[in-house]
Amino acid sequence: MNMPTFNITIAKHGRNLVHVDDFRIDENKITFLFGESGIGKSLLAKAIYGLLSPDEFTITINGEPYNRYREKEETREIQQSSFFMFQEPSSHLNPLLTIGSQLNEGSLTGRLQDSGILQRLWEMTDAVDMKKMLGIYPKPYRPSGGEKQRFLLAMAFLKIEMMQESIPEHIKTFFVFDEPSGSLDNHFRDVFLSVLFEKFQKRKFTVLLITHDYSIISAVKTAGLNILNDISYKELSLKHNDLTLNNFKSEHYMSWVKIQQESKKTSVPAGARPPLLHVESGLEVFGRRLVISRDRKGGSSCPLEIHPYSMVYLKAASGVGKTTFAKTVMGLIRANHLKIDLNLHGTDITLTEDTPRRFWQSSVWGKQMAITFQHADEALNQNSTVRGTLSGLPAKKSRAENIDRMMNGLFEDSIDEIFLKKKVKYLSGGQKQRLNLFRSLVLDTDIIILDEPLNGLDFESIKRVLSMLKEKQKSGKGILLISHNEEIFDAIVPQENVYYLQASHII
Amino acid sequence: MKKKLIDHAFSILFVTLTFAMLLLFGVKGETADQHKNDALVESLVHQHAIDFGNPLHKSLFKETLNLFHPDQRAKNDSLLQAIDSYRMEQFTNQVYKTGSTPKGLSLQALLPLAGMYCNFILIYVVVMAISYYAAHTAAIYYFVKRKQRASSHPMTIDTKDRYSRLRITGNMTVLVLQTVLKGIAYLILFAPAYIIAYSLKSTFESGGYVFMIVLGVISNGLLVTYAYKFYTFLLNESRKGYVQNAIVKGLNNSYEWNTPDGISFLSVLKLKKFFPSHVFQHIYKNARYQYIPTMKQHASFLVTGLIIIEMALNIQGHLCYELLQDILYKRIDIALVIIFGIFLVVKATEVLVDYWFFFESQQYENKS
Amino acid sequence: MKINRNRTPQGVLKQFSDLIRQRKDIRWLLFWLAGLLGLWLWDSIFLNPLAYELIRSAIVHTFVGASAAVAFSLFIGWSAGIALYFLENGRARSIHLLLMFFLNLIRSIPQIVGLLIGYIILTLLIAFGFLQSPLSQILWMAFVISIFCSLEVLDLVTERIMHFRKSDYFHAMLCCGIKESRIINIEILWKNSLSHLLHKLVSLFGVAILLQCSIDFIISVGLSTDVSLSNFPVTLGSLLAKLDSKQDILALGSMLVEPSYASRILFQHLQGVSVAFVIVFTLLCVFQIADGLVRQYDL
Repeated sequence: MNMPTFNITIAKHGRNLVHVDDFRIDENKITFLFGESGIGKSLLAKAIYGLLSPDEFTITINGEPYNRYREKEETREIQQSSFFMFQEPSSHLNPLLTIGSQLNEGSLTGRLQDSGILQRLWEMTDAVDMKKMLGIYPKPYRPSGGEKQRFLLAMAFLKIEMMQESIPEHIKTFFVFDEPSGSLDNHFRDVFLSVLFEKFQKRKFTVLLITHDYSIISAVKTAGLNILNDISYKELSLKHNDLTLNNFKSEHYMSWVKIQQESKKTSVPAGARPPLLHVESGLEVFGRRLVISRDRKGGSSCPLEIHPYSMVYLKAASGVGKTTFAKTVMGLIRANHLKIDLNLHGTDITLTEDTPRRFWQSSVWGKQMAITFQHADEALNQNSTVRGTLSGLPAKKSRAENIDRMMNGLFEDSIDEIFLKKKVKYLSGGQKQRLNLFRSLVLDTDIIILDEPLNGLDFESIKRVLSMLKEKQKSGKGILLISHNEEIFDAIVPQENVYYLQASHII
Repeated sequence: MKKKLIDHAFSILFVTLTFAMLLLFGVKGETADQHKNDALVESLVHQHAIDFGNPLHKSLFKETLNLFHPDQRAKNDSLLQAIDSYRMEQFTNQVYKTGSTPKGLSLQALLPLAGMYCNFILIYVVVMAISYYAAHTAAIYYFVKRKQRASSHPMTIDTKDRYSRLRITGNMTVLVLQTVLKGIAYLILFAPAYIIAYSLKSTFESGGYVFMIVLGVISNGLLVTYAYKFYTFLLNESRKGYVQNAIVKGLNNSYEWNTPDGISFLSVLKLKKFFPSHVFQHIYKNARYQYIPTMKQHASFLVTGLIIIEMALNIQGHLCYELLQDILYKRIDIALVIIFGIFLVVKATEVLVDYWFFFESQQYENKS
Repeated sequence: MKINRNRTPQGVLKQFSDLIRQRKDIRWLLFWLAGLLGLWLWDSIFLNPLAYELIRSAIVHTFVGASAAVAFSLFIGWSAGIALYFLENGRARSIHLLLMFFLNLIRSIPQIVGLLIGYIILTLLIAFGFLQSPLSQILWMAFVISIFCSLEVLDLVTERIMHFRKSDYFHAMLCCGIKESRIINIEILWKNSLSHLLHKLVSLFGVAILLQCSIDFIISVGLSTDVSLSNFPVTLGSLLAKLDSKQDILALGSMLVEPSYASRILFQHLQGVSVAFVIVFTLLCVFQIADGLVRQYDL
C-alpha cells in the first residue's frame, strides 16, 4: 500500500524553490532519501507534514492550495500520530526551557518516566546523572551537538511509543528523521538505527530518513537484517532543472567502496620525503588540551605529519574539536603550546602562538595553506556571483589553464555565462559546497585542509570531488581531511595516515 | 555584570566631576561675561538722549547700529532684545524689587526643584510602565492578527447570490471605515506631542497628570516604535527551530481567538501574560527575554519625549520647563543641576535594566 | 521578484502596478511624494504667498537638515564601527575602552538634552561671529543630531561584523588571502549589509525630523538673549511655534466640539495645518517605508 503521490510546488517571493511531480513514499516502510543538499528534501518533507507557513511560502499540493491541504483529515492524522525530527539540533531546542521540560510537553507529557529511551540512547543507567542532564538549559556548548541530537531523537522515539500504544493502526503515520546522524559518531548512529528497527519491528509505521551519510547503507545492512524488505533507498536529483525521485541502488555504493578499498592497497606510499606540515601534539585551546595519537583509544601522543603526495585523515568523536584543531593549525585561533613546522619549497618555517597575524596573512593564508570550511552557506558570500567568489583571490598565472578543467570537473560541464553570473544564494547546497571546495583548490597551495568536504553532496558529486582530490594528491599536494564519513575515507586513506584526536580539560 | 556596574560607576563619576567643574569654574566665567553685557545694556538704557520706550527712537537706534556695524545685524538685533528684556525685568524680576543680587544654587532654589524632580520621576515611571505593557500587548495583538490573516481562506464570491453581494458590500463598507479609523490612529500615534497637545489645549488641561501621561505614551511615535520592535522580536522567534519542534510535539498552533486550541484574548490583555500549551508561549517567553536590553533605548527615547512635552507645552512648575527658563535667564548652575538629575534618571534605568537582564539570564544558566 | 520584459505600454503599466503591489516600501514612497505634491498644489491655490514661501523654505530646510544628519550618521557610525573593531583586535585596547566609555556616555544622555546643548553652542558660535550663513547653521544642527543617531548605525555595523565573524565567512575570506579591511568594508558591510543600512538610515531620517522639529519648537522661547531667533533659518518646528500656526493647530481640536468647523480647517487655518500635516505624514510614511524594506529584504 502506498502513500498518495504528491505533485508539489513551493515558491517564495515569486521564485520557484521546489517543483516535483510524482513524489511518493512507501507506506509503513523505512525510506532512506539521499540527494544533494539544498535540493529540497527537507522542504518537501515539511510540506507533506503540514509544517510550512502559508504566509512565507506559496505552496500547492496536487493542485490544491496549501491551506486546504493542511486542513485535510489525512494531514491532521499525520500531525497527531507522527513526529518530525529536524536537522540542526542546536536551533531546535528552546534555550529558556530545561531539556526535561522540553521532553515532557505537548503529546509527550508524562511519557518520559516510564520510557527507557534515554538510557538506551546514552547507554547510561545512573538515574542521578540522567536527572542532572534533564535539568540543564541548552546552550551553545552544553550539551554537545551529539547530545542535542540524541535529545531530539528521544522525542521522536517517545512519540513512536505513544503512537504504538494509543493510535489505531489504520491512522496514517509519517515519521521524518532529517539528518539524524549528522552530529553523531558511528557508534551512536548504530545505536539509533538499532532502536529504530526495534520499534519498527514491534509495529510498522512510515519513516522517511533524510541523510547525506551513504555509509548508513552499510550500517543498515548490518543492523536491519530482519527488515531489509521493508527498507528502500531513494534519491532526489536535479537534472536539467527537473526534480525527480528515483530509486537508489545501494549495491552501487557498496561496490564503489570496495573498489576504493582495493585501490588503496595499491596506492604509492609517500616514502621518505620530509613532511610538508608537522604539528606537535598537546596544543591548548579554549581550556582544553588536544592530543594527537595513532590509536582510537588514546595511547601515546605523536605529532601529525602531512607528507607530499599524501592524504591524512584526522578522526575524533563529535564535539572533541576537529574543526578547532584545523582552525588553530591555520592560525585563525590562538592556542598555547602551538608548534607547526612547514617545509615548503625547501624552506623551513616554524609557526607558534607568538607568530604575528601579519605573517600568517602575508605568507601562509592562500599562499602556502588553504582551508575549506564545513558549512558552505556560511563560508561563501551569498550575495556574490559565482565569478565574484573567485575574484580578489591571490592568483597565479600558471594556474589559469587548470581552472577551467577543475571547474568542469566539479560542476559536470554545466559552466556557462548564466551559471557564472548566478548569485551564490540561488545555487543548490551541493553546488555551493563544490564552489566552496573549488575556491580552496584553485589557490593551488601545497597544503590543503578540508573540513567535511563531502557535506551536502550526492553520490555522483562525491565521486567527482574524490577524484579531484586524488589528482591534487598525485600532483604533490598534502591534504588533511576531517570528516565523519569514516567508511568512505577509510577506504581511500591508508591506515598509516590516519590520526586520532582526543581532548582533555586543562585543570 | 561586575564589568557593567564598574562601567556605570565610572560614567557617573566622570559626569559628576564634569558637572562639578563646570559649576565651580564655568559659572563664574559666565557670571563675569554676564556682568560685562549687562553693563553695556545698562549704560545704553540709562542714556538720556534715547528713550527706548519710543518706537521712533528705537528704530533710529537700530538703523544707526546697522550703519556702523553692517556685518553684525544679528548681534545688533540681539542687543535691542537685551535692552527690551532688561527694561522689562526692572518691573518683573523679584531680585530688582528686593534690591539683592541673584542667589544661584541655594536651599531655597533647590527645594522646589526637588519637588519637580520627584514629579518628573513619577510621571516617567508611570509612562514607562504603561508604554511597556501597551507595546507588548499591541505587538502580540498585531502578531496574532497577522497569523489569523495568513491562515484564512480567500473569500469566494458568488455574484449570483443576492445575499452574498449584500454581505460583500457590507464588508467593503466596514473595511473602508476600518481603514479611515486606522489612518486617524496612525496619525495620532506618529504626531509629535505638541501637535496633539495644541489641538486639544482648549478641551483638556495640558498641565494635568493624566493628560501628560497619556500624551507621553501615545505621542512622538514611542508606542508605535516599541510595539513594532517587540513585534519584530516575536516574528524572529516564531521563525526559529524550537517553535517548529514545539509544533510537532503537539502544542496548540491555532491563532483563532478564544478557541480550545487557539489564543485567549484575555491572556493577551493580562499584565502577566501566559499562554499554556500553546507554541506562542515559547515565542513570547523568548521574545520578552530578548527585549529586555531594549528598555535602555526605550528609556532614553521616553525621557526625550517627556522633556519635549514639558518644554513645548510650557507647563509651569515642571522640571523641564524650569530647565528651559534657567537656560534663557542664564541660571546656568541650576540648569546644570537639572541636566545632571535627568542624566541620573536615565543612568538609573540602565543600571536597573542591566540588573533585570542579569537576574533573568541567571535563571537560565546551567550550574556546573 | 520575476521581471516581466514586456515593453508595450500595457506591459510597462502592468509591471509598474505589480511593483507597487508587491513592494510596500515603493508604494509608501510614492504615497509620500503624492501627499507632498497634493499639499503643494493645495497651498499654491489657497495659501497666501508669504505663508506659502515660509512653508516652502521650512520644508526645504528641514529635509536638508534631516538628510545631512543621516549622511553624517552613516559616516560617523561606519567609521566608529571600523575603528572600534581594529582597536579591539589591535594593540590599542586602552583607546578602545576609552572610546567605548564615551560612546556609552553619549547613550545615557537623552537626545533632546544633547540637542539643547548643541543649540546653546550654536548661539555662542553665532555670537562670536561664526556660522553666519543659514546653511552652516543647518549643517551644525544636523551634525549634533547625527552624534546621537550615529550610535544606532554604529550598533548595526558592530552587530553585522560580529555576525559574520562568528560564522566561517570571515575566516574563509582571510584564508583565501583577502585583506581584513577589504573583508570588513566591502564583503561584510557593502555587499552583505547594504539593505540593513538602508533600512536603518530611512528610520533615522524620521528620527532626525522628529528631533529637529521638536527642538526648533522648544527653542521658540529663545535660548539666548545675545542672538536673535529671527535670523535662524526657518524650519517646520520653528514655523509651528509661531503664534498663528499654534492657533491653527488649536482649531483642529475645535472640530471635536463643533464638527461643522472641519470645512474651514483647510482654508482658514491652512498654514499650521500644512506644517503639522507635513511632519506627521512624513513620520508615518518613513515608518511604513522602513517596514516595507524589512519585508522586502527579510531583515
